[in-house]
Amino acid sequence: MPLVRPASMCPSAFLRRFLFALSTTVVSIASPPVDAAAVDYLRDVKPLLKERCFACHGALKQEAGLRVDTGELLRRGGDSGSALVAGDPAASLLIERVADPDPASRMPPEGEPLTAGQIEALTQWIAQGAISPADEEPEADPSSHWAFQPIVRPEVPPRSDSSWGRNPIDALIASRHESLGLTPQSPADAALQVRRLYLDLIGMPPTPDEWVTILGRSSRGPLDESDYTRLVNTLLEDPRHGERWARHWMDIWRYSDWFGLGDQLRNSQLHIWHWRDWIIESLNDDLPYDEMVRLMLAGDELAPQDLQKLRATGYLARNFFLFNRHQWMDETVEHVSKSFLGLTMNCAKCHDHKYDPLPHDDYYRMRAFFEPYHVRLDMLPGETDLKRNAIPRAFDGPADIPTYLFVRGEETQPDKSRAILPGVPDVVKLKELEIRPIDLPAEAWQPERRQWVQDAHLAAAESAVEAATSAVAAAHEALAHSVKLHADLAAQAETDEVVPSSARPASPVSIVDDFTTLNSQRWELLGGDWEHQPGRLQQRQDGPTRSAIRWVPQPPHNFDISLRFTTTGGSMWRSVGIAFDVTADAHAGAAAAGVNEEQLVYVSAVAGGSKVQVAYRQGGVDQYPHDALRALPIELDRPYTLRVQVRDTLINVSLDGVPVVAWQIPLARRAGGLHFTTFDALSTFHEISIAPLADDVELREPASATLAEPTHPAQAERAVGVAKAKLHLAQQSLAVAEAQRESLGQRVAALALAWQLADTAAADADLVAREQAARVSAIRAERQVTVASAERTLADAQLRRLQASEDQWEKIDKEIETATQNAASAKMTAQTDVGPDERYASISGAQWTPTRFLNSSADDPAVPFAPQSSGRRTALADWITDPGNPLTARVAVNHIWTRHMGSPLVPTVFDFGRQGTPPTHPELLDWLASELIDSGWSMKHLHRLIVSSETYRMQSSAAGREANEAIDRENLYWWRRVPTRLESQAVRDSILALAGKLDLTRGGPSVPLKQQADSPRRSLYFFHSNNERNLFLTMFDEASVTECYRRQESIVPQQALALTNGRLVLDAILPIAERIGAAAGDQTVVGDQAAGDQTVSGDRVADEDAFIRLAFVTLVGFTPTDEEIAACREALATWRGQDGTTPSQARAYLVWTLLNHNDFVTLR
Amino acid sequence: MLTYPTPRLSRRSLLGNGLASIALAAMLQRDGFGQEHGWAPPNGKPHFPPKAKSVIWLFMNGGVSHMESFDPKPMLNRYAGKTIAETPFAEVQSPDRLAIERLVVPDANGNQRNTLYPLQVGFQKHGESGIEISDWFPYIARHVDSLAVVRSMWTTDSNHGAQSQFHSGRHRNDGDFPNLGAWVHYGLGSLNDNLPQFISMGNREYWNASDGHYLGPAHDAVPLRVDPANPLDFARPERPFPDAAKSVGTELIARLNSFREAAYPRDPALDARIASYELAFRMQRSIPEALDFSQETAETHALYGLDQPATAAFGSQMLAARRLVERGVRFIQVQHGGGGAGAWDAHGGLKANHTNNAKAVDQPIGALLEDLARRGMLADTLVVFGTEFGRTPGSQGADGRDHHIFGFSVWMAGGGIKGGIAHGATDEIGFHAVEDRHYVTDIHATIMHQLGLDSRKLEIPGRKRLDIDHGHVIHDIIA
Repeated sequence: MPLVRPASMCPSAFLRRFLFALSTTVVSIASPPVDAAAVDYLRDVKPLLKERCFACHGALKQEAGLRVDTGELLRRGGDSGSALVAGDPAASLLIERVADPDPASRMPPEGEPLTAGQIEALTQWIAQGAISPADEEPEADPSSHWAFQPIVRPEVPPRSDSSWGRNPIDALIASRHESLGLTPQSPADAALQVRRLYLDLIGMPPTPDEWVTILGRSSRGPLDESDYTRLVNTLLEDPRHGERWARHWMDIWRYSDWFGLGDQLRNSQLHIWHWRDWIIESLNDDLPYDEMVRLMLAGDELAPQDLQKLRATGYLARNFFLFNRHQWMDETVEHVSKSFLGLTMNCAKCHDHKYDPLPHDDYYRMRAFFEPYHVRLDMLPGETDLKRNAIPRAFDGPADIPTYLFVRGEETQPDKSRAILPGVPDVVKLKELEIRPIDLPAEAWQPERRQWVQDAHLAAAESAVEAATSAVAAAHEALAHSVKLHADLAAQAETDEVVPSSARPASPVSIVDDFTTLNSQRWELLGGDWEHQPGRLQQRQDGPTRSAIRWVPQPPHNFDISLRFTTTGGSMWRSVGIAFDVTADAHAGAAAAGVNEEQLVYVSAVAGGSKVQVAYRQGGVDQYPHDALRALPIELDRPYTLRVQVRDTLINVSLDGVPVVAWQIPLARRAGGLHFTTFDALSTFHEISIAPLADDVELREPASATLAEPTHPAQAERAVGVAKAKLHLAQQSLAVAEAQRESLGQRVAALALAWQLADTAAADADLVAREQAARVSAIRAERQVTVASAERTLADAQLRRLQASEDQWEKIDKEIETATQNAASAKMTAQTDVGPDERYASISGAQWTPTRFLNSSADDPAVPFAPQSSGRRTALADWITDPGNPLTARVAVNHIWTRHMGSPLVPTVFDFGRQGTPPTHPELLDWLASELIDSGWSMKHLHRLIVSSETYRMQSSAAGREANEAIDRENLYWWRRVPTRLESQAVRDSILALAGKLDLTRGGPSVPLKQQADSPRRSLYFFHSNNERNLFLTMFDEASVTECYRRQESIVPQQALALTNGRLVLDAILPIAERIGAAAGDQTVVGDQAAGDQTVSGDRVADEDAFIRLAFVTLVGFTPTDEEIAACREALATWRGQDGTTPSQARAYLVWTLLNHNDFVTLR
Repeated sequence: MLTYPTPRLSRRSLLGNGLASIALAAMLQRDGFGQEHGWAPPNGKPHFPPKAKSVIWLFMNGGVSHMESFDPKPMLNRYAGKTIAETPFAEVQSPDRLAIERLVVPDANGNQRNTLYPLQVGFQKHGESGIEISDWFPYIARHVDSLAVVRSMWTTDSNHGAQSQFHSGRHRNDGDFPNLGAWVHYGLGSLNDNLPQFISMGNREYWNASDGHYLGPAHDAVPLRVDPANPLDFARPERPFPDAAKSVGTELIARLNSFREAAYPRDPALDARIASYELAFRMQRSIPEALDFSQETAETHALYGLDQPATAAFGSQMLAARRLVERGVRFIQVQHGGGGAGAWDAHGGLKANHTNNAKAVDQPIGALLEDLARRGMLADTLVVFGTEFGRTPGSQGADGRDHHIFGFSVWMAGGGIKGGIAHGATDEIGFHAVEDRHYVTDIHATIMHQLGLDSRKLEIPGRKRLDIDHGHVIHDIIA
């Protein structure tokens, strides 16, 4: 085993993508053992040289002056002379270098050495005279590669067969048919054509009613041309079209909601859905493709003040990566190149591209366009909380950050000898790139100047004052109520003895057991030392173990239970409580095996920490949540009534009628035992009542736990004190809000003057003076905020002092002391003069998204918003969208074609370079590209062209075209359509749409994962990130957010499980059946004009056939054969005969069957 | 875009190869790759006679301390509290020896941990081989003579993205790549048409569910919960659906699909769809059956620790693994320990952390080895115990250890692996692997080799991995 890896091991960040991998690694071609007698240059030698040597010694590069792409060139040799001596392998440099044991001088320098077999083949070939064909052509000049040539609108061949074809697409397809002898498939049936158009253009099939309308006007066979055209136009104008195609582009442009680790945002951005909405709207508006690209790459430079257009730069915001700038830049360079240009620029990160004329520098030249950019959130009108909503967008930070080439692509080895400037590859350079910095309007780089920002802040301050004013009014009312209650209770106390709270039942009591007898039907005694005497049940064992009495009958799920008890002693904890939902094993304690859960409410008279606590045990671990605890004095030798009311997971606890805890228990409820427990307590149980909780009893929500109504005069008196303190706090809070409003107003006014001053060229003494005065006022107003805040802090501590248990007092007293000092010092400061250097806080209109590139475990120093943007990205976008760019339009139309037709014209959709696969129909590709450009980059124009073609309308079946299969089995020449499997979103959306449940609301924040199961929104609105994706959608090859230039189309059993068992389907089948039934009932003959139904006796069966026909058309897009109808009839009859199955359920089962038909998820 | 190569594949071979592989093959062929390189999808047969039939891949999320598990370093006790520079081993920190570490997203502090931290557990020699194993793993230690402990692992990525690296050979930052289990599934297909061939249990922390990645989702692991009530997503109707009605519908689905063969002859997608429904319906029965532990004896329950809270969870997964292998599942990966970066990530409180984690897995793993051996299954079942990296010889904070990529341990057992050997070595403080160094993909290569697979023959033109990803078979540990 070698101790170290070969030195050629490629550096890390560079081991990224398979295409690159292809370029540097060994393929075991030409490796079969070579028969020495029969080495053939073309078979055994040239492929090996091509794979391993051409990249450096071929048309692309001629290292050491050597080319090896023909036998003649090998013989000619390079700087070191001939590479071979025919007949003498031992004297041949070629053999010497490939067989060199020293890795430093061995060829090829990267990847594994040639195998012994490969070297042997070269050796034998030379030994046999190094024979190569005389007419061997050297490799073509890389710059002559087809994709780098200008797009020239091709001549459309005249149609020789006028019976086939509708537009130039067909003519270009037909010319290959004719030359190859292929017979194009006939057009698909009307239903299938309609289904294709709907799913292709809007992402869901027609509803049953729509089917009846559309097909009612047309018999079987192709649609009338006018109907077809009308349908195409209607669908292209349907707003669902933008949603459908947005999802395609979101795949290509790597849409992702934010993801990270836990709550830490590491990738993409908050609110990135604004970009998604911009894509949808742009497609619906038919915004030109070139304009979309420009706005995505440089919207911040092109429309710096237009929030709507700034959304487009979400394309760049999505590439945000918290930790590593290089990774961020790499992803940007790689995917800008792949998605817009079809270039695998990423291969040039570590060295010159092995196949394309893209030198190492080019990678960093491309990176330099993006070097200055960062991401920020811009405030939207009316929303000051950027976490709630804002526009994530790109902006240029400092333009002077140099871009360095990384030696071998390693970020640890920047070549700082020269900074690399932005530039595009020479091979596709159209003209000298002009990069001009762009002066931004002040409001773009000082977003606080935007009127809506100021308005939003002022409105927020105003509503804070309003809220605080209401709170003061409420506190006044609460105080008045407390005062009255105290007075009433005091008056009552004079006439009345204290009424024990247990005597005031609030709900009907089912069972009250006062232990006159110990009823063994009711009670099981567990642990400890229980002693019963009439009227009392006593626990006499001391020590930290649990004892309990178990309520033998099944307790109610929602209940109202009271326990009156007196604790007389115990070593320490002195806890008495009520446990419910106790599993069989739980009584044995936390360590017990098996399912070990319970919910517990207990009163603990432990010295120094007495309390009422709600606790629970999960997986054998006891949890004592802090927010389910009420600290209060619990005395020994005094009866208490602990009352627990539970409705589902909402629990209310009161002690002696005083509410103490209201809480949502996090542990799921389960049917379990009800125990009355003691732990380390000597205690006597006097009375237990158990009743179901009446539905009309109102329980307190957790937040209202402190709104306990006192029942004793002493409590009421204390409550009055608390209410006064609360009023005081509310008043102080109002003072803060008012001070903030005032301060904000002053600061906005001062800022306005400061901006005016900054924008004024000439000195204006009066303006300077006014600005100074405003500054002083603003600072004074800010000081008042500090004073008010300090006083509020004090009021808050004073209130907490009143509410706290004794053990907290010392801590709170210290807080009060500090707060008092702070308030005094703030007041002192407020009196002092404003210094000349003192500044007030500006307001914020946007926030830079912090990065952590420095690995300091804190945010990096903030990137300021600069008045100038580098203009680099605008220059790049202009070059990409230049009509003369040979790549952009070709790449775009290839993507569009693929999504209409199921298969691309250039199979390597993101690699149009020399290693990619050339187009099957170069003229068609160029014709479509010309149409795109000449139509003003209208994508709808292209959609219309493609779906109107005869090529689009063909059947996908191979039936009757056996002759074609013999010529072109793979259908590379489009003699039939390619069937496609619906994308995950189309599957789900279709099911909901057919059921009439789809919510067609457009746009807005992504639906969180937890809400998705119940959400009727279109699937593209679902939160979708690397970490969070919808389970149902993942079953059908969901888009990978890191790279998805084409979707997978798998067929796996998990899909069958999702469609047979998923609630999405099972909830939809009855509504779908009903809608089909309603539509079929109106018109018994649909689609197929077959009269066969008439021969079947009985109306019901005739109706059933109509139902079956419409169900087929609706769900699988074809009219069933007699055989299929018969099979369905038979199944329907069987279902109807099954116990408890109604006729409508039987129909629902048929719908279920058809949703699981291959053709439901297939676009034939 | 589903065009398929002819001649038509039989139903059986469709299942065997995994369905998407066919789609992929077709795509590649259409894209020109297949034709150019004469590549063909695997046919489900090994490339040479295999030693192992199935793999149980145990992965401890977070990074197990190699020095406190399978690679004792008494020098740590001797020099405890000294900085490495103060010991005779200062050379381990020379920059050129640390250079293999890649600059990646830091998720620990990334600093060298210089102050040696003593071993937190004792060691005993075990078995005839006398290999030392820490006292935290007494049950595994009983089987030491079946184990080949590789003490000389190294990797390049010191953050937890290395979890993904250990599964695919690639760090998470490199993008997604097929996991080992996906390659095995792709290469060998099915031993049992009723069950998924690649199963994953336990928590996944740092890599997503796309095990198959470019091989296609058919090669993704099927996540399995050892909960007979809900072992598999969508395994049971989520709304009431009478069995009788369902069986009528199921039969009708098959009939209606097959009727379509008339209009769409020679359509392998249709065949694949029909086959996928058949397997789905079989899985609905076979998986609950495979997870029905009531068929096991009380002694077996106790053996796996199902009767104790500490071991019940992982024990259930181990017992499930054995039952699944018995039924012909090819590759099972079991991840132990979820939360944050993985349960074993003991940056602090290492002693308590490893004590608890070892307690949770040791008896169940020992039971698995025992149970496989006594059923005669260990001979052709390869058990692998791995983790993303080791932990630093130096302390982090008062009582933890940081991530450590320069040397750590992995062990294998069964499936034609030599027992009772400790292969390779780290230096005296467990810092660098120094003898018989192995990169993580050497483990992959060894597993593939035992299954009769040559990774180079499996690779798909245009979708290849780099040389290093193929790894080198560790011949020294093969019986």
